[in-house]
Amino acid sequence: MNRTALIWRVASFAVAAGFIALWQLIANLKLVSPVFLPGPDRAWAALMRGFSSGDLWSKLAGTLEHMAYGWLAASIAGIAIGAIIGSSRTMRTYVAPSLEFLRPLPVSAIIPVAIAMLGLTQAMALFVIAFGAIWPIMLATIHGFAAVEPRLYEVARSLQMSRLAVIFKIALPSASPDILAGMRLSLTVALILSVVCEILAGLDGLGHWVLLSARAFRSADLFAGVILLGVTGYVTSVAMSLAEHRLLAWQASQR
Amino acid sequence: MASAAKRLEAVSDTATPQIAFDGVTLALGGKTIIENLSLGVRPGEFLCIVGASGCGKTTALRLAAGLYQPTGGRVNFDGQPMREPRREIAIVFQDYGKALLPWRTAAGNVSLALEAGGMPTAERPARIEELLRTVGLPGHAGKYPSEMSGGMQQRLQIARCLAQEPKTLLMDEPFGALDAMTRQGLQDEVLSLVAASGATVIFVTHDLDEAIYLGDRVIGLLPHPGRIGIELSVNLPRPRDQLSTREHPEFLRLRRQLFDFIKATEQ
Repeated sequence: MNRTALIWRVASFAVAAGFIALWQLIANLKLVSPVFLPGPDRAWAALMRGFSSGDLWSKLAGTLEHMAYGWLAASIAGIAIGAIIGSSRTMRTYVAPSLEFLRPLPVSAIIPVAIAMLGLTQAMALFVIAFGAIWPIMLATIHGFAAVEPRLYEVARSLQMSRLAVIFKIALPSASPDILAGMRLSLTVALILSVVCEILAGLDGLGHWVLLSARAFRSADLFAGVILLGVTGYVTSVAMSLAEHRLLAWQASQR
Repeated sequence: MASAAKRLEAVSDTATPQIAFDGVTLALGGKTIIENLSLGVRPGEFLCIVGASGCGKTTALRLAAGLYQPTGGRVNFDGQPMREPRREIAIVFQDYGKALLPWRTAAGNVSLALEAGGMPTAERPARIEELLRTVGLPGHAGKYPSEMSGGMQQRLQIARCLAQEPKTLLMDEPFGALDAMTRQGLQDEVLSLVAASGATVIFVTHDLDEAIYLGDRVIGLLPHPGRIGIELSVNLPRPRDQLSTREHPEFLRLRRQLFDFIKATEQ
């Protein structure tokens, strides 16, 4: 890391520390009632207490599980459907209007439908999370498949490559930067919907923990849950960026 | 010298064309691009096609590749009608940057052709190394195309085409985007590669000197619609040499004839 980057990094930490100090100050001065706003000290203590008792671990595991299953299901389905639509001009023409109708549909509008059909179950949560997370992946895949350099298809034709080989050796790798970007967006969507589903359906997870803590006016526990959700979002997104960086190493010199 | 002699023999002793255009017409979008083109390319022959832009040179090459189907007439390969592209016919595209897989290294790009040809995994590394050495890229196996110069990328594309072990090599202005020095070097390398493999070549270019320097025969196309306007046999000794060949009286005579033809088509 060079000098400038180091200074920026230090500055960004200083800003974060400043916000935490401000939060502590507001809490200490009781500008907001301690019933609603704990200081960072109390939130941290609640976080530690939750971990040592094991309660938070199981909640965290629950949320990660919902998120991971929903996201993986969305990724597999999104890439598969996106590949089929994206690789055919006819399909794009026919399907695009339906997609344009479905895409802006708020996923929250789907939740009552999902609950009516599947009940307050894990299956409902999986469906809702996957349904919400599939859009960025599918649309990115369609775009990636549609944007494959036509010259490469001609190379494939002159090599008499099979359809399957063309998909796996040319179209998928060519679309991979788009697909991975879509998957990164979906990761956030999956986390949000995991929490929403846990709150609505009372499924085991951080969403449920946050809801119960709020109802019981345990503000420190509530904030511990919120902090943990923030960390989860951050860590998964960083992990995804690292994976992207590794998988797209061939792009590094083009940037 | 030995390979050059073998080449000449290959050109002269077989009369049946490897690629034959028989009254080929191609219309795309209501516009006739090529009209009634008849042309035979003998096995081992090096045929160059020149012409003003828009005369259908590249289209003719794509017909020979099987990437286009004629709307009239027939294109035959070894006496069989061409219905689709085939591995025995390799194409070197002008835009090497688009024709290579940016996510594969040099070795990986060559490997694509070997994979398509069904070569067992264990045999590929040795063959890849050999091909990269042949085109003058030893030691670059691990580089991505984006890390290579234009000349190197075009060499890589040629290596991938050689990996197809083609009977026919189609080249579409392969050196058009390269600087003069790189171009001359690659011209000589292509000549020696072709001499060694005995492949038939159709080479499209807008550089008249290049066409005479490389070819056994040069065909000039007339535009709108594309048809043959001039056909020259190049009786220059092989192997050719950048200095002495280009100073040869026959070279200069052909050059004048071809320039006059192109000038006339542009009026």
